[in-house]
Amino acid sequence: MRRQVPLILCFLFGIVMMLVEFSPHPVSEGLRAEVIEWDLIIGPFALVIGVVTLVHTHWIRIRRRVEHWQYSYLVFIGMIVMVAFGLPMGPKNGGNELPKWLEWFKWFKGPENEVFVWFFDNVQVPMEATMFSLLAFFIASASYRAFRARTLEATLLLAAAVIVMIGNAPIGDVLWNELSPVGENIPSTARQWILDNPNLSSRRGIILGVSLGVISQSIRIIFGIERSYLGGGD
Amino acid sequence: MGTLTDLITLLVDFVTSHAQILGIWVAAFFTLCIYSFLYRDNPFYRFAEHLFVGLSVGFGIVISIHQGLIPFAWDPFWEAVTKREFMGLLKLIPIAIGLLFFARLIPKYSWLIRYPIAILIGIGAGRAIPNVMDAFIFRQVHGTLTPFGKIHAGELGFFAIFGAILMLVGVICTLTYFFFSIEHRGVVGRISKVGIIFLMVGFGSAFGNTVMGRVSLLIQRVDFLLSDWLRLI
Repeated sequence: MRRQVPLILCFLFGIVMMLVEFSPHPVSEGLRAEVIEWDLIIGPFALVIGVVTLVHTHWIRIRRRVEHWQYSYLVFIGMIVMVAFGLPMGPKNGGNELPKWLEWFKWFKGPENEVFVWFFDNVQVPMEATMFSLLAFFIASASYRAFRARTLEATLLLAAAVIVMIGNAPIGDVLWNELSPVGENIPSTARQWILDNPNLSSRRGIILGVSLGVISQSIRIIFGIERSYLGGGD
Repeated sequence: MGTLTDLITLLVDFVTSHAQILGIWVAAFFTLCIYSFLYRDNPFYRFAEHLFVGLSVGFGIVISIHQGLIPFAWDPFWEAVTKREFMGLLKLIPIAIGLLFFARLIPKYSWLIRYPIAILIGIGAGRAIPNVMDAFIFRQVHGTLTPFGKIHAGELGFFAIFGAILMLVGVICTLTYFFFSIEHRGVVGRISKVGIIFLMVGFGSAFGNTVMGRVSLLIQRVDFLLSDWLRLI
């Protein structure tokens, strides 16, 4: 009951979804669309696990007064602010003005709420972009260590990266056209050739290998050979 | 009641009219907070980092409810109730299955969480097999071999033929490098060595693209600070 039923459900849903992908019959297409909608409905509930784990982790940090525990309150504040402004949805009344007793609800616009959008635009997005741009500095120091042309392989890595970087930046073509008497826009052409040929062929090799792995793992899951997702216990 | 509503409306209007300038200052503050990590870990960075985690989770909750649960579960269910379209009641099944995730909160019944997980994984695995086979195996092989048909028809020039052969050699050599069922010695070893060369060029170009992506973001943030915030450029 505790392990067998989930295995059977996984098998049934897996087999059905695999078979209906191949069938153009209206019934199977309807079934496929319905199950995909079920997936979209069940999926958001999985967020519960993530949120519970996050809240639990930070609650424990606060209770045990571990180092920097005070910052855990900020996690809760951020989460509550976004949910408080973004979640409530008032009646729309078909675009008409709301009755007097309902006009308080006019601020409840779901994700279109001004405060929710303001926090997203002015706090979340800038911080996300800055976090990723921070990697530019770390990637520079990493490349200093990695790009030492000691072997053929390291030299190829270095050469491909440098050509792609120079070819990506407009200044690469501008400098080449100014300084070199041979050819026009050679850096961007070389970059495109690398991306379209040796890069694409290695990627195809990796993609083919990964895909075979995904298929074999999916078969293992459907047939209950791989069952680590059930976790431990009974 | 009316006066209070007017007061709140006035307050909202005031904040709204100054929201843009306030937003620029707040965004600049948090940008600098995060860049302060370049010096070392510090309270400003930790402040921004924790707030960012909270906001992102809150955003995720709101979006998954408004773009997942409401349109796919609540709206059809409500229509079924109000317009008597009883097929919409079918949505109660996935809602009930989804609610089993809350069993995680009750230790005695936490095993029930396996049901929705098993269904999600089953759907994912079942859909992955044909889709991955089509998009990542058949189409990739097709893309690799199609140019040879054009070569046979005499439609390709020298460089295109060279590119097609290079592509086929690269794919075979890369796959051989990842083929661990036989020892990489002799011919197989030499082929896998060529595979490493292709992989290194691939990793190098991926690295170059990543660096440029990050540098673009850095330029965008510096541009925001100098242009939108400080109005220096």
